[in-house]
Amino acid sequence: MVESITTTAAPAPSGSRAAVATLKNTFQMQNWVLASLFFAACLVFPLLPFVEGWMVFQGAFIIIYIMAAQGVSILTGYTGLVTVGHGAFLAIGAYTAALLMKYTGLSVIPGMIAGGLVSALFGLALGLVFLRLAGAFMAIGTLGFAFFIGAIVNNVPIFEGRTGISLPPNTVFGFEIDDFGFYYVALVTLALTTLFVHSLIRSGVGRAFKALRDSDKAAESSGVNRLLYRTLAFSISAFITGVAGALNGLIVNYISAEVYGDIWYSVDLLVAAVVGGSAMLFGPFLGGFFVAMVPFYLEELADFAFILKGVALIAVLVLAPAGVAEVVARPVRAWRQRKLLEAGESPELADAPGPPTGGGS
Amino acid sequence: MTHLRCEGITVRFGGVMACDNVSIEVPEGKIVGLIGPNGAGKTTLFNVLSRFQEYESGHITYRDQNIDRKKPHEMIRLGMARTFQNLNLFGEQSTLDNILIGAHRHLGNPLANMFSLPGARRNEAALVDKALAVADMLHLNHQLDKPVKSLSYGWRKRVELARALAAEPEMILLDEPVAGCNDEAAAELEEIVRHVNRNLGVTMLLVEHDMSMVMKVCDYIYVINFGANLADGTPAEVRENADVIAAYLGEPTQ
Repeated sequence: MVESITTTAAPAPSGSRAAVATLKNTFQMQNWVLASLFFAACLVFPLLPFVEGWMVFQGAFIIIYIMAAQGVSILTGYTGLVTVGHGAFLAIGAYTAALLMKYTGLSVIPGMIAGGLVSALFGLALGLVFLRLAGAFMAIGTLGFAFFIGAIVNNVPIFEGRTGISLPPNTVFGFEIDDFGFYYVALVTLALTTLFVHSLIRSGVGRAFKALRDSDKAAESSGVNRLLYRTLAFSISAFITGVAGALNGLIVNYISAEVYGDIWYSVDLLVAAVVGGSAMLFGPFLGGFFVAMVPFYLEELADFAFILKGVALIAVLVLAPAGVAEVVARPVRAWRQRKLLEAGESPELADAPGPPTGGGS
Repeated sequence: MTHLRCEGITVRFGGVMACDNVSIEVPEGKIVGLIGPNGAGKTTLFNVLSRFQEYESGHITYRDQNIDRKKPHEMIRLGMARTFQNLNLFGEQSTLDNILIGAHRHLGNPLANMFSLPGARRNEAALVDKALAVADMLHLNHQLDKPVKSLSYGWRKRVELARALAAEPEMILLDEPVAGCNDEAAAELEEIVRHVNRNLGVTMLLVEHDMSMVMKVCDYIYVINFGANLADGTPAEVRENADVIAAYLGEPTQ
């Protein structure tokens, strides 16, 4: 008899619902067109006549940062777990790929996958350990994890500390690739992670993440298994950032505790996620671009770059807590929302009862 | 048949006895009311029954199955949904998305889901249909695409109920469904509660301060006071019960 909630009461397909569905499809198509244009532009970028080798190299770096920030956004943006230690997953991905390449001769693509998987395993473990943490405690916990990984790569001999590990040239399917080739490897990977994140956040799993973010009590009473979905979010997040980490090490054929043993990557990724806006698909794109480009333009004034990142972080937190992406998207969203409401209120439903006058508010 | 039964539930917060050996029984297909003065332990008992709250002693059975060790998210798979007194909605998300979360138990394999495999897509479409059917029943059709935080209180109460219904539960724990609503909105919600019970056969346990609603819709009422059972009976019996009158209005002066 419980089935009858939906079977006998199935709604007559109303014209307004169809109109809303059409509209939603249109909006989705617009998004697809924009994203395709962006990736097409990235695809032709290295081929443009004025583009020099260092620009392509820098482009690959930006892509890697974007990807790493995408990992952060899964946790911080969609699941509401603020992580300030994601540099640790970047390091895990980088060292996994580098060590495998050095000792087993693994090439870029398997190295990337291995880096992601090992990082995801650590993410899974961390998700279990931090199951009961929330808010600032989660932030402190993840920061502690970053220090922990930093101490390990600094002191355990296999990671070769500050001397670092030098790697042979990169190969893909047996062919040696230069910066130009590496750029395309990174770009294709970014396209894949973006597609995945898009699919994830629109799925029921993404819905469960967001439910835990907004009210874990309500989520649990609706049947969302907190343990399962939190560890899932941690693993996915760690996987994506781990893949980015593998690329980050391989692109320069060298990794050392000098960079991965510190927490600066964690800080950079936090800034990227917050400044860009981590609850929107294109937030990490803006944030990753910002964080990768600031030190580049301020090479002579490295300390000033840190100050600028800090100022940007504070300014965004005060003026636009949801990030720059949200500010950019706000007018578009408002316009779409208006269109949806107009479509949802077309006359087919005019005979429905009027709104109940809610008391209290 | 008994749908939900708890026996001898005791919950202590420090020195405060929030529930003191409370026992209630909810028969299948009925609406049972749980009333009592403020601070009587109604919400604590609710949290115990929906497994959000641990308890010192006592047992709960759901359809003769012991559920002492169940976790909150497992209750819905047994068929029990709940609403919250102070509304626990996802404010930034649309009404439709809020209702869809209620249908989470029908999600299927999360891995197939997050890669949007074809089977998962079909399943998602089915979930949306379920959510739309529930929205239709609660007259939420016009609110589907609005963010819940933009809705008035009366609408939000309905979204909360719709989310519980989207799970297709066999039993719902309703924590003050009409609190804060004006008479008109309360009357509509009352009508919906009756409809869900009568026509869909959903068993209900209802905490409510609005006595006129409790007396009208409930088949049976439990009164608790200072965390303990005070009285129980049909609405007519409870209304005439001297202990209940004393608990609500105070002892008559000599």
